[in-house]
Amino acid sequence: MKIFNKISFILGDEPIEIDFSKSELKPTTTVLNFLRSYPNFKGVKEGCGEGDCGACTIVLAELNENNKLHYYAVDSCLVFLPMIHGKQVLTVEHLAQKNGKETILHPVQKAIIENDATQCGYCTPGFAMSMFALYKNKFNPTKEIVIDSLAGNLCRCTGYKPLINAAIEACSNKTSDQFQIAENKTVLQLQKISEVQLPIIIEKNQQFFAKVFSLSDALKLKKLNPEAIFIGGATDTALRVTKKHEVIPSIIDISSIQNIKYFREEENYFVIGSGISLEDLKNKTENYLPAVHHILKVFGSKQIRNLATLGGNLGSASPIGDTLPMLIAHEAVIIVKSLQATRRIPINSFIKSYRKTAIQNSEIITEISVPIPDKESIIKSYKVSKRKDLDISTVSACFNLKFSKNKTVEKIILAFGGMAATPVKANSAEAYLIGKKWELENIKIAMELISKEFEPISDARASKEFRIISSKNLLLKFFNDLKMGEI
Amino acid sequence: MSKSQSQNIAHENAINHVTGNSVFINDILSNTQTLIGRVVYSKYAHAKILSYDISEAKKLKGVSAILTYKDIPGKNNFGPIVHDELCLAEDEVIFIGQAIFLIAAETEEICIEAEKLITIEYEKLDAIVDLETAIKKNNLIAPERKIEVGQAEVTFSKSKNKIEGRLYVGGQEHWYLETQSSLAITGENNEIIVHSSSQNPTETQILVAEVLGIQSKDVVVEVKRMGGAFGGKETQANHVACWSALLANHTKRPVKIHLFRDDDQKITGKRHRFIIDYKASYENNGKIDSVIVELNSDAGSATDLSMSILERSMLHADNSYFVPNMKIIGKAFKTNLPSNTAFRGFGGPQGMAAIETIIDRIARALKKDAAEIRFINYYGINKNNTTPYGQLIEYNQLQKIHEQILIKSEYLKRRKEVDSFNSENEFFKKGLAITPVKFGISFTTAFLNQAGALVHIYKDGSVQVNHGGTEMGQGLHTKIKQIAAAELGINIEKISIASTNTSKVPNTSPTAASSGTDINGMAVKNAMKKLKLRIAEIVLADFNSQNAKVISKIEDIIFENDQILDSKNPERKISFEDAVMKSYFGQVSLSATGFYKTPEIFFDRATGKGKPFHYFAYGMSVSEVIIDILTGYQKIIRTDIIHDAGKSINERIDLGQIEGGFVQGLGWCTTEELKYDKEGNLLNHSPDTYKIPSANDIPEIFNVELLKDAPNPNTIRQSKAIGEPPLMLAFSVWLAIKDAISAVGNHKIEPDFSLPATNEVILLSIENILSDMKK
Repeated sequence: MKIFNKISFILGDEPIEIDFSKSELKPTTTVLNFLRSYPNFKGVKEGCGEGDCGACTIVLAELNENNKLHYYAVDSCLVFLPMIHGKQVLTVEHLAQKNGKETILHPVQKAIIENDATQCGYCTPGFAMSMFALYKNKFNPTKEIVIDSLAGNLCRCTGYKPLINAAIEACSNKTSDQFQIAENKTVLQLQKISEVQLPIIIEKNQQFFAKVFSLSDALKLKKLNPEAIFIGGATDTALRVTKKHEVIPSIIDISSIQNIKYFREEENYFVIGSGISLEDLKNKTENYLPAVHHILKVFGSKQIRNLATLGGNLGSASPIGDTLPMLIAHEAVIIVKSLQATRRIPINSFIKSYRKTAIQNSEIITEISVPIPDKESIIKSYKVSKRKDLDISTVSACFNLKFSKNKTVEKIILAFGGMAATPVKANSAEAYLIGKKWELENIKIAMELISKEFEPISDARASKEFRIISSKNLLLKFFNDLKMGEI
Repeated sequence: MSKSQSQNIAHENAINHVTGNSVFINDILSNTQTLIGRVVYSKYAHAKILSYDISEAKKLKGVSAILTYKDIPGKNNFGPIVHDELCLAEDEVIFIGQAIFLIAAETEEICIEAEKLITIEYEKLDAIVDLETAIKKNNLIAPERKIEVGQAEVTFSKSKNKIEGRLYVGGQEHWYLETQSSLAITGENNEIIVHSSSQNPTETQILVAEVLGIQSKDVVVEVKRMGGAFGGKETQANHVACWSALLANHTKRPVKIHLFRDDDQKITGKRHRFIIDYKASYENNGKIDSVIVELNSDAGSATDLSMSILERSMLHADNSYFVPNMKIIGKAFKTNLPSNTAFRGFGGPQGMAAIETIIDRIARALKKDAAEIRFINYYGINKNNTTPYGQLIEYNQLQKIHEQILIKSEYLKRRKEVDSFNSENEFFKKGLAITPVKFGISFTTAFLNQAGALVHIYKDGSVQVNHGGTEMGQGLHTKIKQIAAAELGINIEKISIASTNTSKVPNTSPTAASSGTDINGMAVKNAMKKLKLRIAEIVLADFNSQNAKVISKIEDIIFENDQILDSKNPERKISFEDAVMKSYFGQVSLSATGFYKTPEIFFDRATGKGKPFHYFAYGMSVSEVIIDILTGYQKIIRTDIIHDAGKSINERIDLGQIEGGFVQGLGWCTTEELKYDKEGNLLNHSPDTYKIPSANDIPEIFNVELLKDAPNPNTIRQSKAIGEPPLMLAFSVWLAIKDAISAVGNHKIEPDFSLPATNEVILLSIENILSDMKK
């Protein structure tokens, strides 16, 4: 059983059904372009078409496991239309309410005005939505949390101080808003849509798009459409559409498969579902895998992390791939499944070459298994980028160190991103340090080995020279951090 | 206090902005007849176009027009001052991003499909894509300029204490959130309306008329608002406006162009990058006795505003310092890159970067605090107060601000704390710096200092104000509204500011040079004066007809609290609305134009002397940073700013301009880096790799205040211009970073330094210091 060409979602409080066979829309039409095609949704702005500015930020609400609404901000320029099936979509136009002639502003809108946090107004709707998502999730957030929630939105006029103040103010005086009042109704609407969990197939103009709700459906459809690519959050794939104007022929959307979105502790392993969003993973790893948590905190922006998945980041096999060095250092195992079999691939043999992985066409990444670090292991991650937030690493690193009883290095993994066509280990430095005392002299020799190990490139982000110096210095930084007892 | 006098109201569009109701060009509801325009541009920095084929693209369903330069009915040029910029390339392309063809089609997707069907055969030619090569080849775009005072060369050669150096100053992408946009709609005969995101509607109007081969009378340019501009829409909004107008004229259908971000970043000009060679000599106490600077700017492929920008950089090479012997040479070079253009500060920042570097180096050489060296070199109050170009500095606020900010920022105490932190920490270093800004206000092209207004009072007592200035977020319309309300003494709710429209106010100057409120506010005031006189005469006749014994005089009639009254006989009053109706029935015109020209300013480019500025705006900032010497990571711990806005018309808006300008400046000084490959391709053409500051990059502690009790004589409501000067306050961050790097070598080694100070610049500079120390 399948459903053809139709998706359903709630726009504000209005149920919308799109029949792709009867409309101009394509399955890879972005939610941004869909919304802007309406006369009354021009508040959603395009600023960059790549998820780097947040002007197109909208908020999605979906049912969580307790059948409550979970609100989260996303960049609508990176979301393909079928991905909002079964969700509530909220834009800046939904924030204020009309009471006769009077406009009742939402607390976040009021705070923006009162703090002079809008000048030219172009970024404002996006900021309002990021603040709104924060408002729905946190009471009295710290400044750090506020900045984290706003770092995916660029403003070129205000200098951000009033925006930060506005968010703090709005979230510290919370009252129930119209969305809370309507929550039960919205929940019922969404439940009604999600009663049917049959694959949705959209075939149109030489494009095939399947939205599935189970792994087995995903694999079956993949077998029938071997050229199809899987999308989890589509934050990378969407760029092929928005920036390269590609017509992607075949897509299987796995963003609605619920049972691959988990993080849990099992015997000897933390197991991570491939479909877990990086934001969710960031929050769940804080007390268990601090080095993972640390790197995810500076991965993309909140809007990106809310969409992007760990499986997707692995599958795209980027040379920088901020999550890869940390998985290498944690000696993770990638679990892939086909209809016939399950394979466990150690991370070191997972990445084959530039943007190539060991996954076969019939397989899908389902889980990432991270051995629970023993108490003696010291694992720490680092990221060097031009800007602190929402910037792809120039160099990233994750180190895993364990001492023997006589205080020499028993085991060490030095994993780097940004230094070669794939994330790599500094093999010669690792080999040198094994059995050595953890002393500055030895570190310095290992640093020299690191600087000779790699042949990075110069590019738009930084020069080769900078990459080499940073990579070796990160080892010294690790050494200093240990000395300072920061771990 | 009535609302009309209220100083601190929110931005007049704030409610529309937060609800998403504000309409930008791309939001204008267009009908199904509207076509989408696209520009096809050069992929080579310099090449001959041997042949091209657009026939297949033309056949594509949904394509309405594909235009080449041959289809331009008027002049194929849109150079704003010097006519050296082709609207569409002919047989040669001279930069990557130069427009060659225009496409109009039903949808953007069809435009993109059509573009793929166009073929162009090029023959690559030699290109100059970096400034150093252009300097070596002496590829000047115009004759060099000079400003000189005293005997700089002689003094320098005789002096014992000398420094020399070369400073690289990077460009900057405007990164307005709203990319270049235009919607052109044709009417009957030659009529065309262009909705443009332009800072300079009059110039847009002129150029649209020129490319279409029609007269200005047939072109209306309307600007509702811009989603940021920062100088990037002073001349370069003309391009998309002309292209959309050509397509609309050809197809006789509305045509909209809204550039995609990457295209905008690739094809439009930036802040000029500079290479500055400097020499300076100083007395033993650090007082500068001579400076020789050669300012070399990268104009790009066409003149655009480069010579005016170079001029302003020369006029700011002194920043806040008295230099008795100074020689300033300015050269703008032609390269095969998009023509660089106006950007907040307009050359001023680059000029100042050199002298700030000189001061910083003198301090390091003398092992003194740079704050002290700055203080002894400031322009004096009664002496040492003439600039190299001969303008006397009046109402100098430097000493006052310096003293106030040292106290406010606890500078001396924190200097000690920074030093002791640095002596205790090997891998993290802190830096502290105070930097001043003195910024000249007026267009240095004197005739541009004029503005017009048109005010209508309607029969219901509501007022529509038109003026030549454009709203780009800076709050100009809010301030004009306040000025209008205060002049008429009426509630601000009764006033609206109309979209800027060339058919309402003609022959306007760009909204630039921070002058928007200064000149347009005065023009509005001038119109109000005429209207008030007309209404007052009617009111006076009415008052005096009530009781012939008591004579009200015209000079006693005042407008306040929505009333018009005789201040000597306050019981004689009439509501503003009633007075308006009386005037109407009295057959008095309730519409008036206003005009203003800034008095007494002139500048002789041949001699480099004059009084180019109506006045100066001042400000200072103190910033403290911390750097990680292993990664070059920097963080701003605290910034304090005191800025002079005269008697502020709206403190909330002025504070917003200061904070926003400062943060934009710190982006230029730190993370915003433009890199080109050898072919002249811009590598950072999207926010993926071009990094403007985000919410996490601003100072952790960020204290901003306005200089108190500083009314400015001879300006609208005694205020000062605020748009550009605060950008340069970010030098305190730049030099605090340098101070922190310098601490690595215990301040004994002059660090390699350039602008922007990216983490790469910081790390490599530290590496050099560390290797010098090993020697």
